[in-house]
Amino acid sequence: MLSDAQVTSSSGLPQPASRRRRRWTPSKIGSSASKHIVLILVSVLFGFPLVWMVLTSLKSNTQALATPVVYWPHPFLWANYPQVLSAVPFYRFFLNTVMYAAVTMVGVCISSSLVAYGFSRLRWRGRNVLFYVMLSTLLIPFFATLIPLFVLYSKFHWTGTYLPLMVPTFFGSSVFSTFLLRQFFMTIPQSMSDAARVDGANEFTIYSRIILPMAKPAMATVILFQFIYCWNDYIGPLIYINNTAWYPLSLGLNLILGTYETNWPWVMAAATAATAPIVILFFFAQRTFIQGIAIQGTGAKG
Amino acid sequence: MKGRHTLELREARTPASTAVISRSIRRRQMRIGLLFVSPWILGFLAFFAYPFFATLYYSFTNFNGVSAAKIIGFANYSSLFHDSLFRSAVFNTFYYTAFELPLSTIVALGLAMLLNMNVRGRAIYRTVFYIPSIVPLVASCMIFVWIFNPTSGVVNALLTGLHIPGPDWFFSITWSKPSFIILGLWGLGQPMVIYLASLQGIPKDMYEVAALEGAGPFQRLRHVTLPMISPIILFNVVLQLVLCVSYFTQAQVIESQDVGGPGNSTWFFVQYLYEQAFNFLRFGYASAMGFFLFIVTGIVTVVLFKSSSRWVYYAGDQE
Repeated sequence: MLSDAQVTSSSGLPQPASRRRRRWTPSKIGSSASKHIVLILVSVLFGFPLVWMVLTSLKSNTQALATPVVYWPHPFLWANYPQVLSAVPFYRFFLNTVMYAAVTMVGVCISSSLVAYGFSRLRWRGRNVLFYVMLSTLLIPFFATLIPLFVLYSKFHWTGTYLPLMVPTFFGSSVFSTFLLRQFFMTIPQSMSDAARVDGANEFTIYSRIILPMAKPAMATVILFQFIYCWNDYIGPLIYINNTAWYPLSLGLNLILGTYETNWPWVMAAATAATAPIVILFFFAQRTFIQGIAIQGTGAKG
Repeated sequence: MKGRHTLELREARTPASTAVISRSIRRRQMRIGLLFVSPWILGFLAFFAYPFFATLYYSFTNFNGVSAAKIIGFANYSSLFHDSLFRSAVFNTFYYTAFELPLSTIVALGLAMLLNMNVRGRAIYRTVFYIPSIVPLVASCMIFVWIFNPTSGVVNALLTGLHIPGPDWFFSITWSKPSFIILGLWGLGQPMVIYLASLQGIPKDMYEVAALEGAGPFQRLRHVTLPMISPIILFNVVLQLVLCVSYFTQAQVIESQDVGGPGNSTWFFVQYLYEQAFNFLRFGYASAMGFFLFIVTGIVTVVLFKSSSRWVYYAGDQE
């Protein structure tokens, strides 16, 4: 094998730094090993609760509560899953959540993209002021405006339905989505719009025919985050949904925890069943996820 | 022909008429812009501006949500300050925020720096660190109540194995709040990824220059890394602050199972607001609490932004 020095001299060009770093000297191996040890320790801390959740979900209750602790389920009690999932209308909760997510995804996609277009692709007086007003609403705690909204919605007879959670999404309530789309829209060259304007396209045509098709990855991120948001949302349904038949997963899980509090394998099986779809989704859409968060975060300094 | 045409145009462009044209163009642009952002404007008026002022109004009334609100002046506010449950809820929320906010910032930044190291399998580690933050909140509460169970939980079993007597965690007055803080630190994926992205955005040559000038790892952290990502730290701290003062879901889920902290040790501000509003229908009182929450958040945010001129470094390319 050629050493780096020989490669460099034979090609006559300096090697990029990353290439040079690959050389394994004892001290490098030592520092790399210590890095891995730290990373693995932290990974165990973060991963263990989830591993324990899955392990518990496959135990019998006596095994779960045994002292000293039984680490490995024996035998694997897969039956815990169908049992707990049929003890409560889990599939109904699942469908309710998907319905809630689907409608709000439509709302967010339409309203946030329109608003983001107005805040990024057009220049007009008052734009920046309004944009900062929008960002500052992020700082208003949910509970600071809750009471009058609840009173208003009960006058409309919306309480007990998903309308209070769905309607605002059609009015740009998802500031993060708007912000993320705006950051993305700003990266599209203005010349694209100018060319269309010369051809006589109006702004709505430019928005729907040029910008939106280019923004598909950003829209995918927005849809993904909205889905996760709905999957996790507990406060909203807790306040507005009171009929068990309309419970989303979050409230359904709470119901399971309250009802089967002493049957930990069942509780953990329900927790696993509610977590698995999100984790699977994450593995399929990891890049979309990470990039979306990064855009939101690093764009925030501007 | 063409020449005459341009001549006419040039004649028409007296300063006054240019102003008229540009003003009408500007007005047209403004109309289109407003049209695009109008969904948000309507939403802002209906779901923020109206309820904000209504909260302020209700806070001066005795109101149960059904019969007409009766104005009672500052009575809600004065009874708030004599309410011992309110005081303990404020204290608990302050305690949680005072520990969670700095700890979460340090841990998220630390994890991001670990992930920013040049090691193999970075993507795997990143995934492991991030996943807890997408676990549904109720599910994470279930997991933590279970693993921190004083008698049959695995954490105390492991501690016993190390001959450390495990505390009662969520059942203990001293350990209940730290238990919630640990639960919060577990789900830090979002700020961690934001920090990681900002660390990766720091130009490599800045470190090379710092190294040439003899800066050690600590000095590089102090004089390159932290100043470069300070705007992101400010952004995350402010967002985490709003989350901390509105701490609700985890406490509500864990305490609804009678496993929550004993006494009022984990009775958080927003839980008290929720109880007053939806269990006792004291909407006026709850509104006073809501407005108090807004004021406190607002003051802390303003202080953070004011102090930011001392510790936040904005590179020249900022608008």
